[in-house]
Order: sequence, then structure tokens, then C-alpha cells
Amino acid sequence: MPFRITVPLVFVVAFASVGVGGLFLSDGVRSKGKPDVIKIVSSLPRSGSARGQTDSIVQGIKLALHEVNHQITLTDGVTYKLEYLDLDDATAAAGNWTIEQEIANANQAKADPDVMAYIGTYNSGAAKVSMPILNKAGVLMISPANTATSLTKPGWGGRHEPQCYRPTGRINYTRVVPADDVQGAVAAQWAFELQAKQVYILDDNELYGKGIADLFHMTCEERFGIKVLGQESIDSKQQEFKPLLQKIKDLKPDMIYFGGTTQTKAGQVFKDMIAVGLRCPMMGPDGCYETAMIESAGKAAFETAPFYATFGGLPISELQTGRGPQFVKNFTDYFGKPPTEAYAAYGYECGLVALDAIRRAGRKDRDAVREAGLATRDFVGTIGTWSFDANGDTDSKTMSVNVVKDGEFKFVKKLELKK
Amino acid sequence: MTFAVEPTFWTAFLQQTIDGLAFGALIALIALGYTMVYGIVELINFAHGDVFMLGGFLALTVLVLCGLEGLGVDQNRIKLDDLGLWAKAGLIALCLLLAMPFCGAINFGIDYMVYRPLRTAPRLAPLVSAIGVSFILMNVGLFWGGAQDVNFPKLVSDDNLLPADTGLRLTAKNAMVFGVTVPLMIALTLFVRFTKLGKAMRATAQNPTAARLMGINTDAVIGITFAIGGALAGAGAVVFALDVGTISYTMGFQNGLYAFTAAVLGGIGRIPGAVLGGLIIGLVRYYGSAYVGESWTGALIFGILIVILVFRPTGLLGSPTREKV
Amino acid sequence: MPPPARKPFGLSWEGGIFLALLLYPLFPMFERGLFAATGRSLGEQLPLVFIFALLAYGLNVVVGYTGLLHLGIAAFFAVGAYTAGIFSTAAYAFQWPFWVVLPLGALAAAGVGLLLGAPTLRLRGDYLALVTLGFGEVTKFTLKNVVGITAGSQGLSPINPPTDHPAWSDDFRPFYYLTLGVLILAALLLRNLERSRLGRAWIALREDELAANCMGLNPAKLKLAAFALGSGLAGLAGVLYATRLTSTADPNAYDFNRSIFLVCCLIVGGLGSRLGALLGVMLLVGFDNILTPIIDGAIQQQFPDAGGKIFLTFTGWRLAVFGLALILMMRFRPEGLFPSSRVKHELHPDEAVSEPVEPITMGKTTGEVAAIDGGKA
Repeated sequence: MPFRITVPLVFVVAFASVGVGGLFLSDGVRSKGKPDVIKIVSSLPRSGSARGQTDSIVQGIKLALHEVNHQITLTDGVTYKLEYLDLDDATAAAGNWTIEQEIANANQAKADPDVMAYIGTYNSGAAKVSMPILNKAGVLMISPANTATSLTKPGWGGRHEPQCYRPTGRINYTRVVPADDVQGAVAAQWAFELQAKQVYILDDNELYGKGIADLFHMTCEERFGIKVLGQESIDSKQQEFKPLLQKIKDLKPDMIYFGGTTQTKAGQVFKDMIAVGLRCPMMGPDGCYETAMIESAGKAAFETAPFYATFGGLPISELQTGRGPQFVKNFTDYFGKPPTEAYAAYGYECGLVALDAIRRAGRKDRDAVREAGLATRDFVGTIGTWSFDANGDTDSKTMSVNVVKDGEFKFVKKLELKK
Repeated sequence: MTFAVEPTFWTAFLQQTIDGLAFGALIALIALGYTMVYGIVELINFAHGDVFMLGGFLALTVLVLCGLEGLGVDQNRIKLDDLGLWAKAGLIALCLLLAMPFCGAINFGIDYMVYRPLRTAPRLAPLVSAIGVSFILMNVGLFWGGAQDVNFPKLVSDDNLLPADTGLRLTAKNAMVFGVTVPLMIALTLFVRFTKLGKAMRATAQNPTAARLMGINTDAVIGITFAIGGALAGAGAVVFALDVGTISYTMGFQNGLYAFTAAVLGGIGRIPGAVLGGLIIGLVRYYGSAYVGESWTGALIFGILIVILVFRPTGLLGSPTREKV
Repeated sequence: MPPPARKPFGLSWEGGIFLALLLYPLFPMFERGLFAATGRSLGEQLPLVFIFALLAYGLNVVVGYTGLLHLGIAAFFAVGAYTAGIFSTAAYAFQWPFWVVLPLGALAAAGVGLLLGAPTLRLRGDYLALVTLGFGEVTKFTLKNVVGITAGSQGLSPINPPTDHPAWSDDFRPFYYLTLGVLILAALLLRNLERSRLGRAWIALREDELAANCMGLNPAKLKLAAFALGSGLAGLAGVLYATRLTSTADPNAYDFNRSIFLVCCLIVGGLGSRLGALLGVMLLVGFDNILTPIIDGAIQQQFPDAGGKIFLTFTGWRLAVFGLALILMMRFRPEGLFPSSRVKHELHPDEAVSEPVEPITMGKTTGEVAAIDGGKA
């Protein structure tokens, strides 16, 4: 009996004394961080098939930091060491981003006082969960790839969006890619140019995929008079979609639009389209614009029917304005080979925007950096000169359409949104 | 591709039936492994779906070793177009010949190492171990092929074998699926019914103690049952990979769930039941997608599972058994 | 199954753990030290551990006490989370306060539990496991597909913290104490329940349904009660989970993997044991959510190029580790790492000489027995 009570009791007394001592010696639970370090973190899906794409983004960020030698001298007179943390918001088992991982990353960034900028996310659905957390912490977010409109633009999502992502009322989220209101419309325009009279629309039922599919649907009907035969969501856990595509085949569409990513089975949908004997073109948004898409469907499949992917920006080969040519050269010098995926330019752009914001803020202060970031105007980037608007969106509207040929994406045309 | 015949409701329906039956035959092949094992040791072998998955990766590895593209190896590889019909058929046969013993051996090994020591333990123990084995095999698949979908070389074409004026398609793929699954099912049925070993299996399933007393080496019989079930899963994996064209480390989980739903639907422990259940599941999947909605098919299949278990736990072909006390 | 009044101050191992957890936030140096060493805040992570422990308690009522293998607990977790989503996000007109939604989520889940329980009463063992599995999957698909209500794969968000006070997001402590408080209340409830008439009847049912029936117990009622209580606790955990994540997450967060993960926690910890459920969750969730990110972070810092190969990351081995743990547990220690003395006795009757089983009567045990028992865990 005495043994049983004493052990925990000693435990408790020891704990309590250390604890009370600790409370006197400190002022709060927050860690203090290092005074001469500024951290930039990124949160991207680093496991799974998006890896090729995110590798490029991370290389872009690293290049931006390398160009300033990983240090920055601000107007407060201090030379800060720049540290970069590459966080993964996917898990090896899921092969795609998970909500818990993204929240853990946001919390980690929030809790670390040295973090001044958060580059991410890759998936729009992930941004939706980390935005409120980082908004309260006042950390500047710069996304290289999010395109869902409802994240920033009032009137596109529910009536509480996007205010619900900004609980403090201040804006902390920015993105360097044009949003889907541009991309969806441009995709419909391309369908029109391909003389599609009737299209069938599929989506993966996620924020990004469904969002852009809906926008494509709307623009097709309202602006171009293209008949939409139907729109249906797939379950991306399913292994094959033959019955669905068999059904679509009987409707005789001129084109199939898939709103989704390579990770949500774009490749399988394309393969099954060919398997049921449907030979119309298929088009996807920028989430399918990666080498992984070609690998997952197999190169041979693309010789049977064309696959188009729209992209909010220009492929590496077409970067001829602004900082573009210099970026390709520096990238090749630093990593030994030119960037493989188009998003490398946006990773680089994010890194530059973050550094620029920190420099203009002039001190290591989250709120100053956030304000400086949102005030980015006439920024000379890789695809030309652009500014953030009042919502934190880029005003760049350059889009391109690409097609798979000989086992890789080839640039087809630069598209400007017709008013 | 042009249509010789306008698609009507009935041609569309028949088309879905053909494709659904092909898919169902595949599911049935996997379901047989579940049902045989359950029939003999009353264990839901959760790892069975993952044995199936490993079979798919083995087949892909065989093809890569033969010089085809895949698994990240794509330099100086043989082009599929350069292969003749017989070369392709030979490769398929090679895949089947290697995947079947491979999966059989894995399944036998699992039984030998994991389930056999637990034969007398409470029934929860082997079931939980089966889940554990399933995890380990999935991890092996994850290392083998990565987290993403892996493209499987298209050795069988989608060419229609029926004349175009019927408005229907029976593709070479469909023919291949039936061509592999149906003979295997028939062979299994004959084996279980007419050979000595088959008789020993049925005896062990009925009453292990009595079978042992009659001089049957029940451990060996159970091991062989696992091996046969695994071999069928291996064949199923090759056929699945060729038909769907994609393999991934999670495919065992999804198809495994479908397959044991099929086994339960037909009456778990009964071989004809597994076949019937598989075909029904295949049809439900295809009709569901065509007439209810693609995203509801999963719910439909599991809904059927629940309804069957609640209202007719013995399945469609099972006979009511008395509870063992 | 601890005997009554054995540990008057609650200072069993379980009590000790709870006390340590209660005291942890009072020691900023721990939090800071860990943060400096790993770059991660333990205080931010622990509430999730508490939530899963609560879920494990719920599952334990069904699987551990009553002996019904349940493979669909995630569905009830989802019911709780989506109740929180529907009744508190701005997408709906309700926007009820958290303190109303919390019990509501538990009630809703308990109700669904009864709905599932009623038709499955006569099923046993494997078949019940399959029905619960199927139910879990059907729930997941339904949540995905009724987009008008659940927002499909996007999930309902954002769910606001219980009050408007900024501390909910500035500091980890409010959530920490909220979740820990609910967990401790649940533990107290279960402790009393284990000793009650109902708790003992559940165990009788687990041991031998036929015999229990003959002794005048009503299996149907008992099973329904277990389903309702287990599901209710899972629903409670679900509300906390959604509030913690500020989102209902997507329906894939409530799939079979989640259910099976919880079963793993119970089995590693010890079926039917409260301490086992708690420690099992701490071990596995800690491994999954706390340890692996830290190790992977360290690997990434040391070998920046290693990330491309999945077997060079720690998370890549996660499934194999869990699988092996399950197999080894079943083979060598089926009662779990921290078993209840009763289960332990059943599985190792020969060791009973050195470790007397406590009687399940309400009477007082002798000090001697209790002392031996108390030193063991």
C-alpha cells in the first residue's frame, strides 16, 4: 500500500515544484526563436505523384534563396540568416495531401516565431484549412499553385467566403497564379476554338477540381453556347471508370473535360476513355499539367486521342519576358539541368516575392512582412510584370494551353481571355 | 470510331452487362480465395486482397525485366508496337505462370508463419493478424511501386471482336478476362469435387477433428487451400492489370473489399456462391455507374453487403448452419 | 477491471498519467525544450491524442467490454464531426454554440448507433464485423455524395472555436484542457460503469452469451446499450475533432483505415482496459503524428536528397510497423501491453497463481491482493 501511493506522489511533487519554478522563470509558453534567423517554410505534397511537380517548386524556392546567399540585411541594421524548411503536407501512405498534415504544418509555422513567410499550398483544399490558422498568426502566405476562386474572391463561393478564411479581417493570403475564373473561361474558349459543339464534364469532387469544372460548365453554356451533355463527380478511390465512360460515349461528346488532378485519377479516366472506344479530345486544368500525368496514363495512350492541359502561365520554353530567361539560366547553372516542370517558375516567383516583402518590411515582424507582401506592385517576375490586387490575387492573366506529344507536354498556344 | 447502329437503351444495357460480367468474373476469381479459406478455417483473410496486389507488381516487374517500359525504367526499351500477337500472348502466359505460384507461395507462407500458430487461439486473434499481414504486404507494395498509380503495359488491345453492325463491343480484353477466369473456375470446381485432395479439403472444412482422425494431414490441406487461393488471386492480378491498365498499392484493398462482399453475398464458404456473388457485384458496379451515378456505386455495393448479412447471413447459396456452441 | 475503492486518490497509473498531462502545460520549459530540439510543439499535438483516446474509449465499450468486433467506429466519429459542421459553420443558419453542439453530436452518434445496432443484434463475430465495416463505408460514401448537406469532399469549414476569445488560436492550452477535461470525465464515467451492474453484465455477455442469457440477462438490450454508449463517445470525440481541425475534413478522414487504426490501438494497449486504450492511443498516435514527422524532419535536414525514395523516409515504414505490431501482439501477448487483469487471466490462466484475479463483486478486496496488483501495471 505505501509503495503504491508514494511513487505517484513523489512524481507529482517533483512535477509541481519544477512547474512552479518554471512559471516564475518564464513569461508564457511560446518559444522565443533565434534573434538573427528568418525562416521561410513551404508546405507542399512531397510524397506521392505530385512530387515531380513539387520538387520543381522547391528547387525554384531554393534558387531564390541561393541568389541572395541565404542572408538578408534589413533596414533595422541586422543581417539575418535565411533558413528554409520544406514541409510535406502529404503522407507516404495517402500519396496525396491530408488535412491533418496540412494543419500540423500550419501550426508548426504558427508556433515558430522565426517564420515570416509560408509558401503554399499546392492544393486549394489544403489552403482552405491552413488559411484561418495562419491568418490569426499573421503569417504571409504565398501560394505557387492554388487556383480555386473562392479562396480570395467574394461572390464565387458561399456567402461567408472568403471572409471565413480571414478571421482577423486582415488579408494574409496571396497567390502568384491566376485563379480559375480566368482558367475555366480560357479552357472553354479553347474548347470553342477546337469547334466542340457538345462536351461532357467530369470532376473529382474536390474544392479545386469541382470548382474549375463548374466554371468551365458555366462559361461553356453562357459565353460560347457549347452544349454541356452532363456533369458528374467521380470517386477517386475507384480503380476504373469504364461504365461511366461507356455511358458518356453513347452521348457522343466532342470533348471531355476533367476537373481534377493527376492524383485524383485523371490518367485512369483518360485510359478508360480510350478503352471504351471514345476518341474525342480530353482536356484538364493545370493540376494535370505534369509529367506524372503522362506516366500514369502511359505514353502510348496519348497517340490515340489528344490530351490538352491549360496552365496559368507559360511553359519554361516560352519564358521570354521579365526575369524569365535569367531564371532559366540561373536554374540550369545551379541545378545542372533546366527545370522539368512549369511550376518551377512559380516556386521561384514565390521565393522572390517573400524576399522582396521581407526586404521592404525592413524588420523581422510578421505583420510588417504581411503588409509589405500584399503591397507588392509592378513586380518584375518570370512571366512579366504584375501586381497583387486588393484580394491578394495576381493581376496577371497570361494562360497557355498545352498538348501531350511524343511523351511530353508541348506548348500549343498562349491564350488571352477575351472580354 | 463511327457507330454503325445508333445506341439504344437496350444496346447500352447489354454493353454494360458484358463489361459488368467481365469485371464480375475478375472479382469472382479473388472471391474464391476468400471463400475457400473461410470455408476451411473460418477466417476472413484480410490479407488476400494484398496478395492479389503483389501479383500485379510481380507481373509488371516480369515485363520490365523482359524489356518493356515501366517502374521508372524507360530508356532503350522495347516498343509495344514492335511486338507481335504471339509475343504478347507469350508475355501474358509468362506473367500468369510466374504470378500464380508467387502469390500461392506468399499465401501459403502467411498461413504457415502467421495463422497456423494461432489455430487454437480465440477467433479474434487470426482476424487481427490478418489485418496486420495486410498492412505489411501493402507496405511492400508501396516500396515496390510507390504511392502513385503505375501504368501497366497494354498487351491486350481494345479492338472489338463483334461485327460493328451489332452496336455492341466485346473487346479482346473482355475475351482475355473470360478466357482466363472461366477455365480456372471450372478447373477449381473439378479439382475440389473429384480429386482426393479436394475431398480432403471438403472433409477438413466439414470437421477438422474428424478429418484428422481419418488420417488427413489437416495442416497440409489448409496450407494447400491457402496456396490455391493465392494462385487464383495471382491470376486475377494479371488479368486485372491487363484489363484496367493500372496497378497501385491500394488496389488490393478496394478489390479485396469487393471480393469478400461477393463471397459473403454468394454464401461464404461455397465455391459456386463466390462465382455468383462476383458476377452480381460486377453487374451492380456497372449498372450502378450507368443508371444510378458513378459516385454511388461504392455505397451500393456495401449497402448490399449489409442487407444480405442482416436478412440472409448465409448468403444466396449458403444453407443455414447451426451455431457452434 | 479494478476493484472498487482500491485507489482512493485515483493515483493508479491511469491517474498518474492524467495528472502528469494536467501539469504539462504548467512547465513551459518542457514545451520550449522540445520545440528547440524538434521544431514542433507537443502541446499542439496532444489534443489530437486526447481526442483519439476518447474515440478509443468508445470503441473499447463495444469491442473490449462487450466483445463485439466493430470495424466501423469511424462512421460515428464522422457523425459527431458533421453534426458540429452542420450546426456551427456559417454555411448553415443554426450556428449554435459549441456547448450545445458537443452533447448534440454525442446524442446524434448514439442515435445512429442504435439504428445500426437494432438490426444487427442477432449477428455474431465475423458477420457483425462485416456489417459494421460495410456501414462505415456506406457512411463515408454518403457523406461524399450528399454534397448539398456535407459539401462533399471539401468538408464543412471553418468551424469556430468554442468562444471568440483569441487564446483559442494563440495558445495551445485552452484546447489542451478542453479535450483533456472531456477525456478525464469519460474515464471517470467508464470507471464507474465498469463496476456497475451494466458493466458487469457486458463482461458476462462477452465471456459467454448463452450462459449470460440463461442467467437472465437480456443480450439484445445490453448490446444496444453498448452500441449507444460507444457510438456516443465516438460522436463526442468527433465534435472535438472537427472543432480542433476547424473543419469536418473530407469524408476520407472517416474511412476504414481510421476504424482499423483504432482497433490497432486497443489491441496494442489491451482490450477492455481503460489504461490500455489510453496508452495504446498514445503509443500509436504518438508514433504516427509526433514521432514520425520529427524523425522525417531530421532525415530531411541531414540528407536533403533522401526524400525521393520512399523507403528512406520513416513514414514509408508506417504500415509495416503497425502490421508487425499487430501480428506479434496476437502471437505473443494477445492481452495487450496494459491488459485488464481479467483478460490477462483468461489468456494466461496458468499464471493466475502469482496474480490473483480480483473478484467482480462489490465487496472490498484485501489490502494484500490490491498491493500485489497495484505494483504490477
